[in-house]
Amino acid sequence: MASSTFSSPFHLHRLTPTSPSTPKTRTKLNLRHTSTPTLLRATLSDPLVLQIAETLEDSISTLSSSSSPTLQKLRDTSSESLLTMSWPTRKDEQFRFTDTSFIKHSQIHPVSNPIPTSKSDLVALSADTQFPNLLIVDGVIVNCLSPFGGLPGGVFVGPLSSVSSEVISKRVLEFVSEFHDGDLFWSLNGVGAPEVTVVYVPEGCRVEESLYLRFYSSENGDVGSNYLPMSNPRVLVVVEKGGEIGIVEEYLSGDEDKCYWTNSAMEISIGEGGKVSHSYIQQQSVNAAHIKWTYVRQESSSTYEHVEVSTGGKLGRHNLHVQQVGPDTVTEMSTFHLCVHDQTQDLHSKLVLDHPRGSSKQLHKCIVAHSSGQAVFDGNVKVNRYAQKTDAGQLTRSLLLEPRATVNVKPNLQIIADDVKCSHGASISDLEEDQIFYFSARGIDSNTARRALILSFGAEVIARLPSDSLRKQVQNHIKGLLNPASK
Amino acid sequence: MAASLLQTPFSLSCLSNLPSNSLIFTNSTLLSLHLPSRTTTRPNRLSLKANVSLTNNSPLTTTSTSGLSDNEKGKVLLEVKDLTAVIAESKQQILKGVNLVVREGEVHAIMGKNGSGKSTFSKVLVGHPDYEVTGGSVMFKGENLLEMAPEERSLAGLFMSFQSPVEIPGVSNISFLQMAVNARREKLGLPPFDTLQFYGFLSPKLAAVKMDAGFLDRNVNEGFSGGEKKRNEILQLAVLGADMAILDEIDSGLDVDALQDVAQAVVGLLTPTNSVLMVTHYQRLLDYINPKYVHIMEDGIIVKTGDISIAKQLEEGGYKSISPA
Ligand SMILES: Nc1ncnc2c1ncn2[C@@H]1O[C@H](COP(=O)(O)OP(=O)(O)OP(=O)(O)O)[C@@H](O)[C@H]1O
Ligand SMILES: [Mg+2]
Repeated sequence: MASSTFSSPFHLHRLTPTSPSTPKTRTKLNLRHTSTPTLLRATLSDPLVLQIAETLEDSISTLSSSSSPTLQKLRDTSSESLLTMSWPTRKDEQFRFTDTSFIKHSQIHPVSNPIPTSKSDLVALSADTQFPNLLIVDGVIVNCLSPFGGLPGGVFVGPLSSVSSEVISKRVLEFVSEFHDGDLFWSLNGVGAPEVTVVYVPEGCRVEESLYLRFYSSENGDVGSNYLPMSNPRVLVVVEKGGEIGIVEEYLSGDEDKCYWTNSAMEISIGEGGKVSHSYIQQQSVNAAHIKWTYVRQESSSTYEHVEVSTGGKLGRHNLHVQQVGPDTVTEMSTFHLCVHDQTQDLHSKLVLDHPRGSSKQLHKCIVAHSSGQAVFDGNVKVNRYAQKTDAGQLTRSLLLEPRATVNVKPNLQIIADDVKCSHGASISDLEEDQIFYFSARGIDSNTARRALILSFGAEVIARLPSDSLRKQVQNHIKGLLNPASK
Repeated sequence: MAASLLQTPFSLSCLSNLPSNSLIFTNSTLLSLHLPSRTTTRPNRLSLKANVSLTNNSPLTTTSTSGLSDNEKGKVLLEVKDLTAVIAESKQQILKGVNLVVREGEVHAIMGKNGSGKSTFSKVLVGHPDYEVTGGSVMFKGENLLEMAPEERSLAGLFMSFQSPVEIPGVSNISFLQMAVNARREKLGLPPFDTLQFYGFLSPKLAAVKMDAGFLDRNVNEGFSGGEKKRNEILQLAVLGADMAILDEIDSGLDVDALQDVAQAVVGLLTPTNSVLMVTHYQRLLDYINPKYVHIMEDGIIVKTGDISIAKQLEEGGYKSISPA
C-alpha cells in the first residue's frame, strides 16, 4: 500500500548546510536580514515564530556558557531554517490531526533560570534508580557531579562544555544538527537549547547498564494563567563502530496542575555494527505540551531498538526519523500511547531505507479512554530504489474505549525497490466482549476486567522495555492512571 | 468454609484407613484426594468415587450439611423451568423450553447432537451476553439466577468451564486467578491475598490438576493446546470452588492420561452438597464421573432423561436408537 507522499511545507527550505569551518556569528540579524539567495526566495512569514526565536536567543545569550563551534553550528543552522517557517496549522499534512494552537495562544516564555528547584528535590528525583543517571532540569544537567561508576572508560556522558577530548569534540561537531528535514519545533530547539548533553560510546565499547536521562521541568505556569514556560533539552548520542548502549529517556511529570512546554530533541548516530536500545517514557503533566524529536542515523549492520510509552501531556507529539546510511540494518520501533484525559498522543515516524537487506519492525498500539482524547499515528516506511531485500513489517492496533474517542492512523509503506518483503496491518477495536465475559464468569467485575485488559493491551510494548524495574514503574504508572482512586 | 481459603492444606494420608462409604473431611484440599491409579480395575474406582465425599473447599459454600451421606434427598440446588432463549443479535430461538432439576450432591450429564443447544444452555445459565432469555425461570440456591449479573452468579457458586475458552493476551494466568480469588475474598469480607500468599494457596491446586507451574506465567489460554485449555478450566474450578459446576465438553481434546487427570480432579471436588452438570459426547468421561441422570437434548429441549444406560445405548446405537421419552 504505497500511499501518498506528504507534501511537507518544510521541504521548501532545504538549505546547503552551513560549513562548520566558517561559522557565522550568531546575531539576531541572522533572523531578520539575510543575504543568501536561497533565503531571499523564502517568505519571512511568521512574526510569531520570529518573536519566539528572538526571545529564545535572548535567553541563551544571558547564559554564561561560552559558545563552542558545535553550539554555534547548531544555533546557526537552526536560526536559518526558522526564517522560512511558520507556525503549523491543520492544513499542513504533518499537523492535519494535531492541534498545536493552545501552545500558540499561550504566552510562551523561555525558561529563565535553569536550576531554581531546591537541591533536595532534585536529589530525591535522581536517587531512585540504581543505574547511572543524569537529571536534566529545564534542559540543563544538574547532577553532572554524579560519578558514572557504571560506565566503562572512554565513554563520555555530560554537557558539551565539559568535553575535553579532541576526538569526541570532532565527532560531536560532525553529527550535531546533521538532520535537515526537521520542522519548526526541531529548529526552535536548536535555537533555544541551553546546552547539548553528549553521550559518546567509543569503538567496540559495550555499556552494560542502561543510562537514564531523566528530564524534568521546574518552571511552570498555573492552569488558566496562559503562561507557558518553554524548555529545549537537547541530547546527542554518538556510538562508534561496534559500540553498544541502552538509553532510557524519561520525562517526569512534576506538578499535575502546571503548564509547561518541553520541546526536546535527540540525535543518535550509530556506527557500523553498533547498537542502541532506546526507551522513551513520557509521563508529563496533563496540562503540559510535550513535543519531541528523535533523529537516528544507522550505519551498516547497526541495530536500533526503540520502545516508547507515552501517557502524559495535553499534547504529546513524537517525531521519529530513522535514516539508514548503510546495508543490513535492524530497526525495531514499538510504541504504546495511552490517552485517559482530554489529550492527544501523536507519533509521526519515518524510516528511510536506502540500502539493501535492512530489516524493520514497527508496532504501534494506542488506547483512547476519554471521549475527547485522541491518538494520531503517521508511520511512513520508505523503501527506496537500492533498498533491495528489505524486510519491513508494520502493525498498528488501536483501542477506543469511549464513544467520541478518536484515532487517526496512517501506516504507510512506500516501496520503490522491487525485491522486498513488506507487511502491514491496522485494526481499530473496542475491548473484546468475550474476554470481559470470561472475567465476569470467574467473578471479576467489569471495571477490574477492563483495567486488566487495557494493561494487557499495552503489555506487548511494555514487555520490550529493557529492565524489570522500568517495566514495573511504567506498569504502576498506568495502573494509577486507570484507577485514580487507588493512587 | 470460608476459612479454608486461609489454611495451609494438609495431606490426608489417613484416607485409606477410613471406612469407604462415608468419608467426610473438613477444610480438605484437592491434594488430599487419593484416587486409585489408572491401573486399578474400573468397578473399584467407580464404587470408591460414588462414596467419597469431601467437603467442598469453595470459599463460598454457606450450607453446612456435614454428616449427610444420603444424597438422594438433597436440597434443590438448581431448578430450570421452561427456559427459552434467543440469540441476542438475530433473535433466533435456540432454547425452546428446558426443564431441569439438580439437587445437592448430584451429578448430571447432558448429551445431544452437535448444535442441539447444550453449550447455549450452559452459557445462558452463567449469563452470557450473546443470549437473551425470553421465558421461563431459573432458581439457584433459592434465588432468581436470571436477575443476577454474570459475576454475581460466579460469586454465588456457579461455575462453567467453557467449551472453547477465550485467549487473553497480556494477562498472566496467575494474575487472572489471583484477581478471581481476591474478588471472592472481597465478597466474603476477607483481605486480598498478596502474591506470595496466593502462591501458597495455589500450589496444591496446581498439583491436584497435575498442571505445570510454568503455565502460571503464561498468558491466559494463549497458545495453550486444546487439552491444556481444558485443564486450565479445571484449575480455575479447583481454585475457585463451586456449588454447581457446569462442565461443557471438558473431555474433548484430552488424551487418555489427561482425561484421567481431569476426571480425578473433578471427582475430587465432589461433596455431598455440590453438584456437577457435564456436557459430553462420550461415555468415557461418564465412566470416571458416574452421573445419576443422563439427559438428551434435541433442538433446544431435553427430550429424554434416564440413567447411565442411555449413554451406553447411545454409544452402541447412536441417537436414532434413543426414542424420546
Ligand atoms: N452466538 C451465536 N451466534 C449464532 N449462532 C449461535 C450462537 N450460539 C449458538 N448458535 C447456534 O445455536 C445452535 C446451538 O449451538 P450450541 O453451541 O448450543 O450447540 P451444542 O449443542 O453445544 O453443539 P456441540 O455439540 O457442537 O458443541 C447452533 O446451531 C449454533 O450455530
Ligand atoms: Mg457445545
